[in-house]
Amino acid sequence: MSSSAPSRQTRSSDRVVVDTDTRRASALAHLLLNGTLLVLFGALFVQAGALPSSAWEPLGAGSFPRLVLAVLMLINLGIMAQEWLHYRGAPSAAAGLVKRWLWRQRLAFGVLALFVLYILGVPMLGFRLASLAFLILVQFALGARRPRSLAIAAVIAVTFSFGLDWLFRDVFIISLPRGPFS
Amino acid sequence: MTEALFAGMDQLFTLSTMVTMLLGVVAGVIAAAIPGFTITMAIVLTLPLTFTMDPLQGVATMLAVYVGGYSGGLISAALLGIPGTPSSVATTFDAFPMARSGQPGRALALGIWASFFGALISAIILIIAAPPLAMIAVKLGAWEYFSLIIFAMTVVASLVGKSMLKGLMTGLLGLFIATVGADPMMGVARFTFDADLLANGFPFLVVLIGIFAVSQLLQEVEDAEQPQRGKQLISSNVAFKPLDALRETLAHPVNLIRSSLVGVFIGAVPGAGGSIANLLAYDQAKRASKTPEQFGTGAPEGVIASESGNSATSGGGLIPMIALGIPGSAVDAVLMASLMVHGIGIGPRLILDNGDLVYGMFMAMLLAAFMVLVVCLFSMRLFLRVTDVPRSVIVPVVLVFCVVGAFALNNRVTDIYLLLGVGIFGYILSKLNYPLAPLVLGVILGPIAETNLRRALMIDENWALFFTRPISLTLLILAAVSVAFAIRHRLRQRHAATPA
Repeated sequence: MSSSAPSRQTRSSDRVVVDTDTRRASALAHLLLNGTLLVLFGALFVQAGALPSSAWEPLGAGSFPRLVLAVLMLINLGIMAQEWLHYRGAPSAAAGLVKRWLWRQRLAFGVLALFVLYILGVPMLGFRLASLAFLILVQFALGARRPRSLAIAAVIAVTFSFGLDWLFRDVFIISLPRGPFS
Repeated sequence: MTEALFAGMDQLFTLSTMVTMLLGVVAGVIAAAIPGFTITMAIVLTLPLTFTMDPLQGVATMLAVYVGGYSGGLISAALLGIPGTPSSVATTFDAFPMARSGQPGRALALGIWASFFGALISAIILIIAAPPLAMIAVKLGAWEYFSLIIFAMTVVASLVGKSMLKGLMTGLLGLFIATVGADPMMGVARFTFDADLLANGFPFLVVLIGIFAVSQLLQEVEDAEQPQRGKQLISSNVAFKPLDALRETLAHPVNLIRSSLVGVFIGAVPGAGGSIANLLAYDQAKRASKTPEQFGTGAPEGVIASESGNSATSGGGLIPMIALGIPGSAVDAVLMASLMVHGIGIGPRLILDNGDLVYGMFMAMLLAAFMVLVVCLFSMRLFLRVTDVPRSVIVPVVLVFCVVGAFALNNRVTDIYLLLGVGIFGYILSKLNYPLAPLVLGVILGPIAETNLRRALMIDENWALFFTRPISLTLLILAAVSVAFAIRHRLRQRHAATPA
């Protein structure tokens, strides 16, 4: 009992630190995102101005995008102003926050990395092989580790790679990317 | 009219038509339940199969897929939090939290009954009031369309998320994304940077799949510290009580009828389909509710409003198509194409020249609504089996379906690259609490908004017409009121949260 109380206290104070850290980090992320978008929208706004106008209509091809981009930039500035106040109001983040956050998100980033490889692999390997490898690897990453789970994972992988390819090719007459091995 | 009605029924109630309709319902429900598969795709895939059928059988089969699809969208919306179709975006707001809180059976049963009543009410209105409603829709000019889109965007921005500014930003971002590619009036390439990837712009379906499916699935697996490996997405202890759900649905008659009427009206406006109707119906239900704070946490009223609203658009969407020859949505365009394949002229003379076919279509809508109800109620336990599938299976399999859905739309590998980019961007936005629904709506409505703005100014360069034409002015006032209400609501919330 006596030993658990301080540890609970520590965990609770940790959470407070994490929440405060998150608030500041979140404000910084908003500032970075909106700052980047502001620059991007500004450049696109200029580019839209170079689009040709039309002799038949008062608005050319660039007017509508410019209107949207102008309002977007105003909103970006509004959000940045709000978030700047939040950022200034929050205390400094503890050291190692980014590292801790990245470690916590490792599963999502792992799946995302596999998904990126899968998307790149579909035109190179073909839908069937790329899907087979992706399905097995993600199921493994998300917890299919025992022999029985792995066997089920393999069946699912074959069904939703080769089976899906067959369904689309022969039933719906839609040919999914074939790749060099097909 | 009576003669045409009976002639239509005579053609409809044949064994072969009933069987193909039943298959169509099942296909529609299943297709819409799979994220990435939309009703449009299901109908497009069905179209070649109807070439050998007689016109009414072919159209009735496609209508069955259509009505089934509106109900099927609720399954992935409720169980996975991913709208199977754009028309079930608002369903995720309450059905998913309800399912996550251990009541997936209740969420699905409520949605099924609400869908049924929505489709039923819309079919009845379609039969009784198609001509006068079409007359209202035909009066909308380019000014009104543009104002309608402004209204829809403000409603959505004020509806979702905690910050209206963020909602507006993502909505406008959607409008901008829609401008990438060929300009709708002159065909000028915009923001493509001579890259093949961007040459065709961002197909809205790819954006929809990327924004909702990919980012949602990544969020499902993001917290590695929690013991979630192999964990089911929702509880496996499912209590499915359809009769209780029927009673609960009928306990909200005003909500049900109002949402269905919203669905019928929005469906009747060309270009504004289920994707707007479900959000508007949800918004109206939330505003009228005595407990609006419960919306978004698993409120049954939210599920009823969204599902009856989107299903009711199926009937409403047929009104401009039948009366004017203008498809209300992409799905209606495919339905129209199927009639044209059979040599049937589309336009105001359709009812006069092919009354039996049109009334047969009306009856097919009613029949399809009953079939969907029966199929869903009897096979719901099968659908609930989705809850038995662990996360480690659902996540990769749905991601594969997302890739297939994005690719099969146009048979383009570049679309799956876009899917990846949009998915990652959507994930970043959702991590920072930016609402994603306005973005998708912006992408869908962007070309309509731009075309109508430019068309309005081509007809008359006077901008004041947006404020002097009565319907356009009304819609703009409604948009301003929507923003004002949202700001007032947020100020009140902030005031209440401030300690005295």
